[in-house]
Amino acid sequence: VPSLSSLNTPHTGLNAQRRALDVIAHNVANARTEGYHRQRVEIGSLGTTATTGVFSGASRTYGADVVSVTRAYDEVLASRAIREDATRQSAASMRTAMTTVESIFPEPTDLGLSAVLDTFWGSWTDLANDPGSLAARSQVLENARWLATSLNRTDSQLQAVATDAATRIGGLAVEVNDLAAQIADLNRTITSSSPPNNDLLDRRDVLAGRLANLTGATVRPTTGGKVDVLLGGRALVMDTSVQTVTGSTGVLQWTSDSAAVNPASGEAHGLASVIADVVPRYRAMLDGVASQLVTSVNALHTAGYDQAGTTGRNFFDPANLTAGTIRLSADVLGQPANVAAGAPVLPGPVAPGPLDGEQARQIAALAESASGADAQYQSLVTTLSLETRAARSRFDIQEQVADTAMRDAASVGSVSIDEEMVALTTAQRAYEANARVMTAIDEMLGFLIERTGVVGR
Amino acid sequence: MRVTTSTMLQSTMRDLAQGLSRLQDTQTRLSSGKELIRPSYDPSGTSTAMGLRQDLRRADQHARSLDDAQGWLDTADQALTASLGVLTRAKDVAIRAASSGGIGDVNGRSAYAAELRSLRAELLSLANSSFGQRSVFNGTAAGAAYDPSGVYQGNAASVVRDVAPSVQIPVNMTGPQVFGTAGGAVGDVFEVLDRLATAVLNGDANAITTEQANLQTRYDGVANATVEIGTRAARVEETRTRSTEMRGVLTERLSQVEDVDIVEALITAKAQEGSYQASLQAVAKILPMSLLDFLR
Repeated sequence: VPSLSSLNTPHTGLNAQRRALDVIAHNVANARTEGYHRQRVEIGSLGTTATTGVFSGASRTYGADVVSVTRAYDEVLASRAIREDATRQSAASMRTAMTTVESIFPEPTDLGLSAVLDTFWGSWTDLANDPGSLAARSQVLENARWLATSLNRTDSQLQAVATDAATRIGGLAVEVNDLAAQIADLNRTITSSSPPNNDLLDRRDVLAGRLANLTGATVRPTTGGKVDVLLGGRALVMDTSVQTVTGSTGVLQWTSDSAAVNPASGEAHGLASVIADVVPRYRAMLDGVASQLVTSVNALHTAGYDQAGTTGRNFFDPANLTAGTIRLSADVLGQPANVAAGAPVLPGPVAPGPLDGEQARQIAALAESASGADAQYQSLVTTLSLETRAARSRFDIQEQVADTAMRDAASVGSVSIDEEMVALTTAQRAYEANARVMTAIDEMLGFLIERTGVVGR
Repeated sequence: MRVTTSTMLQSTMRDLAQGLSRLQDTQTRLSSGKELIRPSYDPSGTSTAMGLRQDLRRADQHARSLDDAQGWLDTADQALTASLGVLTRAKDVAIRAASSGGIGDVNGRSAYAAELRSLRAELLSLANSSFGQRSVFNGTAAGAAYDPSGVYQGNAASVVRDVAPSVQIPVNMTGPQVFGTAGGAVGDVFEVLDRLATAVLNGDANAITTEQANLQTRYDGVANATVEIGTRAARVEETRTRSTEMRGVLTERLSQVEDVDIVEALITAKAQEGSYQASLQAVAKILPMSLLDFLR
């Protein structure tokens, strides 16, 4: 027999379905929100609670209620996606740096250092062919100056790559501190509600992902939906307290004790290896080219004679053996007559005839040397091209890996409109059905009220 | 795996971007005409291309040296050929002066002697022949090879030109190598002519005979030098022919390494364009599909 309390059951159903509709609307509204994970309403039955009925002592009540609203989130997949994305970012910054370094060496063209070197050697051959010509001597000096300037410029361009990376680390530290502070704030807010607010969790995960992208920081979940963030083995965010980092010196450091942060991946890792490894290595190789040039040319030039029979002059400044500093010696700078084209006549040695170009020819032959500056430069370019290609393919591969990991993670949490439409239809129908039950009970009660007590009327 | 609108959108976007970037690569290859846009596109090709470009630049350098060597040798060859003519005339004069009629005629003797001296002067000016303001028989010394009195001013140095990778050709001969060493029993050709002229003037038949033999020795020396210079000129010519061939080979190989195979690149571009269009069409058909279209 229906009682007034029976109306309560469809009422709980209506409420539960309305909540379900609210969540569906929330999902659809956030279908394109970054980091949003779809939420699901779990509805449970209320079948066990005993209450006292009006007409019949203790009786069971029926109905439904929302047990929880959960977000579709897979811890394993999500953390894997974050980790792979951080590695991708590290590979990306490495690839960018390598591509920049590569563009500093425009080979194979007639604009690169290789062509400048050949022009330099060529002017020695021209001098050997015509040792009496002041123009040929001036040409040698002019081409040598251009070669030295090209080496200087290439070196400073390489240095600029490291400087740019150092500047970026400074900006990156500011971003890291900002994100860490936001995560600590969210930790505080999240604990204030129980169960934790799903939308806040989503926002926090987005921030942690960005932090991982920058530094490869890892997240360790603690109680009540909070997380700690670890960076290179030390806590960046611990509950609601934050440690700060600084990058003003071009190296990522902890502000508190100036210890170096060793980011395992992320952009900071790529930048750090550009500064500490890539740029110094290529600068050292370029220095090798420069010092080989200075020592080999000087060895022959000091032994050679100019037209006046003077010997023992340096061609390049022997004190400056790096690509950044290489320059002509004061002995020959601006004094083409002092270029030594003549070879010593042995035994003796004595000065050769003023029109001897043998020493210039020997110097020009340095171009062919298997351990000469040209060969060293060529090996630099080969190493660079191989390394750049490796960096690029590492990035390409890692991008595939990261994409897959992110798609896997997104496949759990992302909103499917079709799915939501099905759920919407179900909830709508359930709502209508509950309303129908209510109508049925109402009609039954109405029947009782109108028809009872009228027997024999 | 669960597929949703946004995961599908993401992977579609990535596929489209990849297709487009492949197309762009091919377009860059086509528009630049170069296969090696950056060293890392083909490290071994880059290394080869750098080597080939270096070889080509060296070949240009060698070509300049070849021109220079040829100039030297041509100048020397002309001077020596003319010298042989002068010496032949000197020998004729000596024979005529030594003849019975010649010896007896005082006026004739002085005329023969004068002719010999003028031939000597002519030879001296040939010995001072220069190529681009540089005496070719002077070694590495500056100025003229012989002073007006016929004394050698130069040195014994040889002048060498690099005409091909590890190929050197000496382009000069010194005065003494061509015209003989001054002093000694025979002396150089100028001393011989000097003595011959004196002997003719004096009508000294014995001396004339001795000097005629000496003149023949010097004539042979110059003739040998002419052959030597000619041989070197032939080597220069041969090297030039080989260098020109080599240049052609180098240019062709460089083009093979560096330049785009236009036909292949065009076909690739067309294929990539087609597949890009196909994927665009597929996206346009699939993406708008939604359950919403079928719910009332």
